[in-house]
Amino acid sequence: MKRKVKEWLEDGTVDLFLGYRMNCGHPLPHCFTKEEIDDVEHLLVSRTRYSLEKIATHLAKRDPELKIGLLARDCNQRAINVLTIWHQLDKDKIFALNVNCCPSPIKPQADCSYMSGEQTSSYKVQVGIDNLMDIEKADDFSDQEKNVRWMYEFQKCLKCYGCRNICPVCFCAECTLEHKDLIGPGRLPPQIPIFHLVRAAHMAGRCIDCGLCEDACPMDIPLRLLYRKVGEIVKNVFDYNTGESSEQSPLSLLGEKVSLSLKPM
Amino acid sequence: MTNSIDGIEKSNCIFIIGSNTTANHPLVSRRVMRAKEKGAKLIVADPRGIQLSRFADVAIRHKLGSDVALLNGMMHIIIKNGWHDKDYISKRTEGYEEFAAEIEKATPEITALATGVSEEDLYRMAEAYGTAGAASLLYAMGITQHVTGVDNVKSCCNLAMLCGNVGIPGGGVNPLRGQNNVQGACDMGGLPNVFTGYQPVTDEKARAKFSEAWGCTLNEKPGMTITDMIPGILEGKIKGLYVIGENPKLSDPDWNHLNHALQELEFLVVQDLFLSETAQVADVVFSAAALAEKEGTVTNTERRCMKYDQAIPPLGDTLPDWDIIARLGTAMGYPMHYKNTEEIFDELTALTPSYAGMTYKRLGYDGLQWPCPSEDHPGTVYMHKDTFSRGLGKFHAVAYQLPAEQPDTEYPFSLTTGRMFAHFHTGTMTRVSPHLDIEQEDGYVEINPRDARKMDVKEGELLTICSRRGELDVPARLTTSVEPGTLFLPIHFGENAANILTSSEAFDPLAKIPEFKVSAVSVKKYKVEAPAEAQVEAEVEAVS
Amino acid sequence: MKCTFVPSICSYCGTGCGVLFETIDGKLISTIPMKSHPVSGGKLCIKGWNLHEHINSPMRLKKPLVKTFGRFINTSWDEAIQITADRFKDIIEKYGPDSIGVLVSAKMSNEENYLAQKLARAVFGTNNVDHCARL
Repeated sequence: MKRKVKEWLEDGTVDLFLGYRMNCGHPLPHCFTKEEIDDVEHLLVSRTRYSLEKIATHLAKRDPELKIGLLARDCNQRAINVLTIWHQLDKDKIFALNVNCCPSPIKPQADCSYMSGEQTSSYKVQVGIDNLMDIEKADDFSDQEKNVRWMYEFQKCLKCYGCRNICPVCFCAECTLEHKDLIGPGRLPPQIPIFHLVRAAHMAGRCIDCGLCEDACPMDIPLRLLYRKVGEIVKNVFDYNTGESSEQSPLSLLGEKVSLSLKPM
Repeated sequence: MTNSIDGIEKSNCIFIIGSNTTANHPLVSRRVMRAKEKGAKLIVADPRGIQLSRFADVAIRHKLGSDVALLNGMMHIIIKNGWHDKDYISKRTEGYEEFAAEIEKATPEITALATGVSEEDLYRMAEAYGTAGAASLLYAMGITQHVTGVDNVKSCCNLAMLCGNVGIPGGGVNPLRGQNNVQGACDMGGLPNVFTGYQPVTDEKARAKFSEAWGCTLNEKPGMTITDMIPGILEGKIKGLYVIGENPKLSDPDWNHLNHALQELEFLVVQDLFLSETAQVADVVFSAAALAEKEGTVTNTERRCMKYDQAIPPLGDTLPDWDIIARLGTAMGYPMHYKNTEEIFDELTALTPSYAGMTYKRLGYDGLQWPCPSEDHPGTVYMHKDTFSRGLGKFHAVAYQLPAEQPDTEYPFSLTTGRMFAHFHTGTMTRVSPHLDIEQEDGYVEINPRDARKMDVKEGELLTICSRRGELDVPARLTTSVEPGTLFLPIHFGENAANILTSSEAFDPLAKIPEFKVSAVSVKKYKVEAPAEAQVEAEVEAVS
Repeated sequence: MKCTFVPSICSYCGTGCGVLFETIDGKLISTIPMKSHPVSGGKLCIKGWNLHEHINSPMRLKKPLVKTFGRFINTSWDEAIQITADRFKDIIEKYGPDSIGVLVSAKMSNEENYLAQKLARAVFGTNNVDHCARL
């Protein structure tokens, strides 16, 4: 793997390579370059996962000609697919070095560390939604119970926007979550359930089930389950497999044109 | 904090008083919520309804400034039911008898009257805290910014000691500090009476140590606090002021008073990232580099000293604060030459016993929690394990006192102040941040819908609020999170500066902390005064 | 093109959450939560997520300023420091060291706070040092 990265950097296949390296005991994202080729020896594949493809979109916006290599597990690969479909990345300029998925029920011999999270606490299982629950189980609750349980989860929301900010496939220049007429600003918790349902609706045909949102949620809201349900609907109704299909999703709330302008930062 | 942030999750009961944790310390509230979901009991006492109140086993709204009464009342019930830790009290504390005599007076009837909390709720709070085992007490400025701030803190400590909760995992008395390095600023001697590590300036030995290290003689007279300095300016005692990274024009009590004082100064230097309200009236402004533009260490609320790195070069002609200070010292004839911050850090750890075991290399990105007295010491996750700093823990008999101002016929409302979730302190940093500005662009005042209805005020309409110090007009936000007769004004917004209304005369006699949390005010719907006839004429003239 | 991820600590409250500053060619691009941080474990609040924005603000001061006839003019560091040193020396000479107050900052590093109180005590000769812990 290290040899491959060195090769790519040296022969100019890529201008830079996004991976990880250890820094004072912390596995952190790192950008490897030809100038500092010896650093590639420190390239690391760890269970820690950052949204490297989102960083790639930041780089591509500044220099559309830049050839970017990156370490990609299955979820990163799915994200890259969505980002190229929506013109956020140029598929000829992205070079993914596939690494083994962290082990996952999605794939045999693999289990994503993001899917076998820590055991959900007892009180939460009683009154809220168990983060480890599968979709069928969550659908078994009566409508009223579903409502009570989900509202319990949403009420915890700190409105950090972490789910959106960390999401590799959230790239809109203007975000509906910040649209004042739709969701009143300045209050904690945010208006519920609309805040979370608006985001869920926008995840239809976009969410690639990487789990980074739930991982970033300070209140352990089971966002992955929520968006997986949305993804299931898109699959059942439109026969669309987000992250695998090669076209844009038939259901999109993004409007006709996708803006490629820089996000305000 | 005597304990650690992640230690909150180990607690069986969490008692939050005077802290809107989800808004002001969101990542601490995460630990609270996780403890709750693991089965811990949650008690929330706050004059306002806060987000965590929704999840509490007992949530009460006590009267503003009645914290001592509430805590004494809780302790009365705990003692009456024998839920206190007698073994702990006899082995590790002193002053219990005198304290218990004071608590004896705080009967449920008296407490209910003083706090406005029902006797049943008082019992439930006392039971939840008193019978939990390891219980963690969290507080913030809602406890300290009162004329009885010190009494409030003492009462919190009394409660924790009464139930044997100091010096155990999952327990503790845990103040949540409001600024990233307020702990560090205190640790580093940014106080008028102590050098680094709380070594008193009046202590001859400490003075000799610093005097030798710094090669100069040192003043033995404790200095003035910020709350003394402002009147000190007006009395002609203070002539020159060097303000670093603060905006007292918005953060200090009584805007008019302070404004007047700053004009009296012969020389004011302000060092900041922005031309803040205070910088605007300075004689010299030093342009400082921001967080990402320098390296250094900060110490968080759980005493964890952590290192941060430089990400980008300083903007334009800005310099890191340490460099500016060193240059000024050198220009004053005292050479301060440092290659980098690590050199300063090594100098300060040599003089500070609680930091003595720390080096940049040891800190890494995880940091170390003080006390860390030697290089082989792992740091301290929770304090006072077998003994208190002073030996035995001291109970203080604290009697309840009313806040400095009570609502009366002229000023019938109680005003309290605080922060909201999207902004920080005086807003100099957050209001220029686009994503935070979107969340809340303007100031507002929270008012109960009942009160608003009586004044025929709708959401967003202007209210005029008057106190004995001044008046301001601010849009209303209707919410039941404040009780009728109470208003809440966030402190971030210079155009409706809360300190126009708050008092500089009401402060805790010992800690000199101003009573920001209670002021008596009057409220009315804003009315446009019709201009005088002569002014109309003049304006018409000017147009035509 | 060069891209870095630099560990830092959020400056918006006393919790001390770990962040990474993402930079591209010396420009601050975004704030990313540091996943393995002991305090925050890869989560942040709204303020933390936008930590880079105030640093990138066009409102930032770029040069030291000196007020002359009621108006600020840009100046050099040497001049700003010299003027300040001279004025403080004058005041100390005329009224004594305790006529000067220093407000240090709860938003600066430990090193900077240490140095600021050292300046007050060793150079100015006063213990009039305080900060906004109470406010």
